Amino acid sequence: MGKKRLKKPVLEEKIIDLENKWKRALADYANLEKRIVKEKEDFVNFSKSCLVVKMLGVLDDLERCQKHLKDEGLNLTINRLKEVLKSEEVEEIEVLGKNFDPKLMEAVEVVKGEKNKILEVALKGYLLNKKVIRPTKVKVGKGK
Amino acid sequence: MSKIIGIDLGTTNSCVAVMEAGKSKVIPSAEGKNTIPSAVEPVKNLVGEVAKRQMVLNPENTVYSAKRLMGRRFSDKEVKKTQKMVAYKIKEGKEGMAVIEVGGKDYTPQEISAKILAKCKTDAEAFLGERVESAVITVPAYFDDAQRQATKQAGEIAGLKVERIINEPTAAALAYGLEKKSGETIAVYDLGGGTFDISILTIGDRVFEVEATNGDTHLGGDDFDEKIVDWIAEEFKKENGVDLREDKQALQRIRDAAEKAKIELSSTQETDINQPYITQGRGGQPLHLSLKLSRAKLEQLVSDLVESTLKPVELCLKDAKIKASDVDEIILVGGMTRMPKVNKVVKDFFGKAPNRSVNPDEVVAIGAAIQGGVLGGEVKDVLLLDVTPLTLGIETLGSVRTPLIERNTTVPASKSQIFSTAADNQTQVEINVLQGERPMAADNKSLGRFILDGVPPAPRGVPQIEVAFDIDANGILTVKAQDKATNKEQKITIKGAVGLSDEEVKTAQQEAEKHAEEDKKKKEAVEARNQADNLVFTAEKTLKDAGDKVKKEDKEKVEKEIKKLKEILAKEDSSKEELEKASKELSDNLQKIGEAMYQQQQAPNKEEQPKKGSSKKKEEKDDKGKGKEKAEEGEVVE
Repeated sequence: MGKKRLKKPVLEEKIIDLENKWKRALADYANLEKRIVKEKEDFVNFSKSCLVVKMLGVLDDLERCQKHLKDEGLNLTINRLKEVLKSEEVEEIEVLGKNFDPKLMEAVEVVKGEKNKILEVALKGYLLNKKVIRPTKVKVGKGK
Repeated sequence: MSKIIGIDLGTTNSCVAVMEAGKSKVIPSAEGKNTIPSAVEPVKNLVGEVAKRQMVLNPENTVYSAKRLMGRRFSDKEVKKTQKMVAYKIKEGKEGMAVIEVGGKDYTPQEISAKILAKCKTDAEAFLGERVESAVITVPAYFDDAQRQATKQAGEIAGLKVERIINEPTAAALAYGLEKKSGETIAVYDLGGGTFDISILTIGDRVFEVEATNGDTHLGGDDFDEKIVDWIAEEFKKENGVDLREDKQALQRIRDAAEKAKIELSSTQETDINQPYITQGRGGQPLHLSLKLSRAKLEQLVSDLVESTLKPVELCLKDAKIKASDVDEIILVGGMTRMPKVNKVVKDFFGKAPNRSVNPDEVVAIGAAIQGGVLGGEVKDVLLLDVTPLTLGIETLGSVRTPLIERNTTVPASKSQIFSTAADNQTQVEINVLQGERPMAADNKSLGRFILDGVPPAPRGVPQIEVAFDIDANGILTVKAQDKATNKEQKITIKGAVGLSDEEVKTAQQEAEKHAEEDKKKKEAVEARNQADNLVFTAEKTLKDAGDKVKKEDKEKVEKEIKKLKEILAKEDSSKEELEKASKELSDNLQKIGEAMYQQQQAPNKEEQPKKGSSKKKEEKDDKGKGKEKAEEGEVVE
């Protein structure tokens, strides 16, 4: 034991080094925990959005159907489905009359009309928790 | 030092990955996708998904496929070809190089690519929560010096120090960890969104050498989609006499449906293409699109496209002066290689199955990230922590193994759990420390055992014995048992609980798998027995507690059933079903007694509730060590 005895400054340096590493490990762990919480949330939203996007396709079809049939019962059904989506923080993107914004919309056609204005919606877009899960497909005015 | 990210700068899509604690991870974009469309609108500075969305509105200002122009002269054949397919303007710039004119301003292809790389950098910084300063960027193996130089410049314009430019096929091989297979020959088959590349590599001493490359710069997933769209439109026309391709909105819908069908048919044999109210007939009546597309039909539709990839493959082998059978490993890259048909054609050609375990959209970026990790010394920085190779636990009632530390737990680690006694007035417990994956104690390896005695006599289930497992960083396991009432403790230290040879671990796991079914049955039988045993105990106690409050005939009935269950328990070979049936009968009748007692109790209790609450608490305290029996008796009396 006596042979291997280290000098005080060496030991002190070692303590500082170890303390540093230990704190770093603790910090790494704490940060990992925080990221896991966030990733879990993201994951819930991600799996939710997968399902919601698929359901939106059905809602589109029902609305196309309603445009043709104009049936009261179907209308109630569509409204119920919309209520369900709303309760899950899904909301429709309001675009008509606004200017084109590629963050929320996807231009599918340019048509006669005021430049850059949304003149027609080809497919409704939706937000989930304020994030775009499907951009609105729009027809945009091309101006003169 | 900040992390070095890996970027696959693609013709249609780009992808970013990074090494974290020795593992590669693909970085999701701000839009939440794993890849970024390689599209840029330089005037408003829109990049990726957002730029793609406004392409129809702004075609001459939206640049895509800029990679096709990188480091090329305006007179280049490839530039002329690209010019024909894009809507933006390409012209001759400085020193005869191809440049892009948008909104009256000239942009070099590297400036456009820089915007994509800058987005990669920003998204990576947001994900990692730290600054990113350097990157490894991949380029096709056939890129010449000028093209590589241009790619490097693009990185620098984006504010990234380009640590290295590596070949895409090399990155893919790195992602599969093939650098260790010295002397082997690898074929990398890359069928992406817009281009097809085949490369032959050989591995020297951890160095890849590109022997030959070939490909088709205008063949990819989009061509496959087009085939499906045409088929859908033709089928619809045959039936309804309307060409959906003339209705822009309908065309948009069948394009989406075609891509979805293509993806689905990689995992299913048949898919439905349903698009109600797709268009209107001549009389204004609504028309619906409803078709079935089978995998066989899809394969027939695209078979010439898939076959056409084989010509470049043959030429490439010829250039490398090898035969198809000389190839040791085949790697698939690009989303289109998910198609089973592509996989089959490649397999038939080379006579062996290709590697496809790494996501083909991400494999190049992952390889670039691995290269970045090596350059940044990421691997050296990681303190390697051991894991427990097998589950550690103790033996409990009925020779069942109860796990405390599951296998694959990173050490140092500790875990504790409270156990109790199995019989009345039991004064000692034996702790048998087990290692293994089997549910029954006897099938696992016993690492050691010890006895904790001096437990004060009490009814079963009352004493609290805490068993704590602790493995330190050196793999030394300490198991401690402590009686919570007396604080008396006993412990054992076991060395080598972590250090097992791979062989031993494998054997243990195989054993567990092999016996999984019978072990499960055995354990269930023991559990049924333990439950029945517990029920007998509870029933006897309830009858005793109830005293004369129970009707005589009810009491006799329960007593009879207790006797019956006890007899079944006494037999060694009684089945799980027998035990469960008798247990259920007993517990049903026992419930009736409980109900009757509760009804009798209710009236007086209502008035005295507050008082009862406080006195009960006190009694429990007084009775510590003597068991709950008396406390519950008191409760009834009150």
